[in-house]
Amino acid sequence: MDFFGDGLRRGLELILGGDPEVLGITFLSVRVALVATVVACVIGVPVGFVVGTTRFFGRRALITVLNTMLAFPTVVVGLIVWGLLSRRGPLGDLGLLYTWWAIVIAEVILAVPIAAALTAAAVQGIDPRVRRTALTLGASGWRVHWLVAREARFALLAAVVVAFGRVLAEVGAAMIVGGNIRHQTRTLTTAVALATSQGDFPLAVALGLILLGLALTVNVLLQLLQGRGDA
Amino acid sequence: MLSARDVEHYYGRRRVLEVPEISVRPGEVLAVVGPNGSGKSTLLRILACVERPSRGTIAWRGQPVKSAAQLKEIRRRVTLVEQHPWLFRGKVKDNVRFPLELRRVGAAEAERRVADSLAMLSLEGLAGRDTRELSQGEIQKVAIARALACDPEILLLDEPASAADPRSAAALYRLLDQLRARGIGLCLASHQLEEAYRWADRVVALAEGRPSPVTPENLFRTEIPEGSGPRRVQAGPLELYVLTDRSGPATVAIPPEDIVVSTEPLHSSARNQFTGRVLRISDDGRGRVTLTVDVGTELVARITKQALDELDLTVGSPVVLTVKTMAVRVF
Repeated sequence: MDFFGDGLRRGLELILGGDPEVLGITFLSVRVALVATVVACVIGVPVGFVVGTTRFFGRRALITVLNTMLAFPTVVVGLIVWGLLSRRGPLGDLGLLYTWWAIVIAEVILAVPIAAALTAAAVQGIDPRVRRTALTLGASGWRVHWLVAREARFALLAAVVVAFGRVLAEVGAAMIVGGNIRHQTRTLTTAVALATSQGDFPLAVALGLILLGLALTVNVLLQLLQGRGDA
Repeated sequence: MLSARDVEHYYGRRRVLEVPEISVRPGEVLAVVGPNGSGKSTLLRILACVERPSRGTIAWRGQPVKSAAQLKEIRRRVTLVEQHPWLFRGKVKDNVRFPLELRRVGAAEAERRVADSLAMLSLEGLAGRDTRELSQGEIQKVAIARALACDPEILLLDEPASAADPRSAAALYRLLDQLRARGIGLCLASHQLEEAYRWADRVVALAEGRPSPVTPENLFRTEIPEGSGPRRVQAGPLELYVLTDRSGPATVAIPPEDIVVSTEPLHSSARNQFTGRVLRISDDGRGRVTLTVDVGTELVARITKQALDELDLTVGSPVVLTVKTMAVRVF
């Protein structure tokens, strides 16, 4: 128990003392997660919108693909992206492997299905009268979509938050394509894995606490949003 | 003029609508009547071009609506008010102003039209009210005011008085009369037949998605026993003799014009006779009177004004309704 207590105490000291190593890793992690979430939502939300609101050939197949991708093993995504970006891979010339952009790419692939599937569910749950009312009052095109999105706004925000949470907590793909390089691609999750294996328990605890804190914040945010959605 | 031709609509494999031709003309009230689930709301949504029919065409001024631009045009001129209308979050006046914003009407002009529309439904007092605080009857009125703000050429109303108290309903029908006088074409879906006959210029009856060969009064779902020749069926609380080749589930109808109204039981060949009391009397002002009689269920009978006067009937009078077996329609 001493071992845990000691780790916790020294971990807190690192956080409260503003250890530059800890802060640097945290900022990098949040930056990667934010960029990946934004890119994933820019792609995934419109896809989900179309899937949720229109009828087209292959729609059911697309929904199945999206739902399958929700359970995509992250190390497999890491493997695929590594293959694409490695020197001998098709995108090797870009020189992105082991940069934080490589992590962003892998996380985007993981987060797009989440954003799309949750968006589709959100807009499907919207009363069909919203669209009909907008149309019959003379709205068209983007205006109709905007009104539907506005009714679904809390559920859409929840989709974004869930995507962010997944990206932040992901370790497998980040490790493979980022390489866990200090100051460059060492995120909270990969740093925890490394610190633990190196026996630097206090550092691992400090980083783990930060990760936990961020996850908690994200979930509190999500619950607040869902609560407002019911109102 | 707004019309639909050879329209069919399916939900999955089930056909919910099959209408060869229907049209709504300027300055005319068309009532679409029929029981719940007969396809009235679907027909109105298709006419409003907010639901695309599985087959068939909608035409505006004789031109089939095909392109997206035509759709947009027709939706600007034809407005639908659903039975349970959707109001956007916010205030009543914001909802009424919304179609004006879409049409880029200037602020001062919009303000005036919002006030006019609200006044037509006596809703001035509710302008600043949050839409979530409204009763169902108020929601329907706000939705009608919002539709009027669109300045439509054709207005489609789905059961507009379903949540209204009798006084509001009367006010609504007077408003519809004014709109008709202004040249607006109105199409009204209703299951209240007397009102439909009283206020509409034309009545189309729907039964199971199809224009019915008879008026939809006195319609009953029933189960016809096996056999041939005249059979007794249960029509709601009534026992009714029908003559048909069919058996199994069917709809039976007693045409209101084929009911003989008397004050005493008749000694005649007619096999169906029901006693009851007059519930309502509605005079169309053109010599035709519609009686609603409570015989355990409501039956509607149509007689002439002269006959009414000679029988000296008023609300509450005991009457006998007589129907020949062969007058009962089965479909």
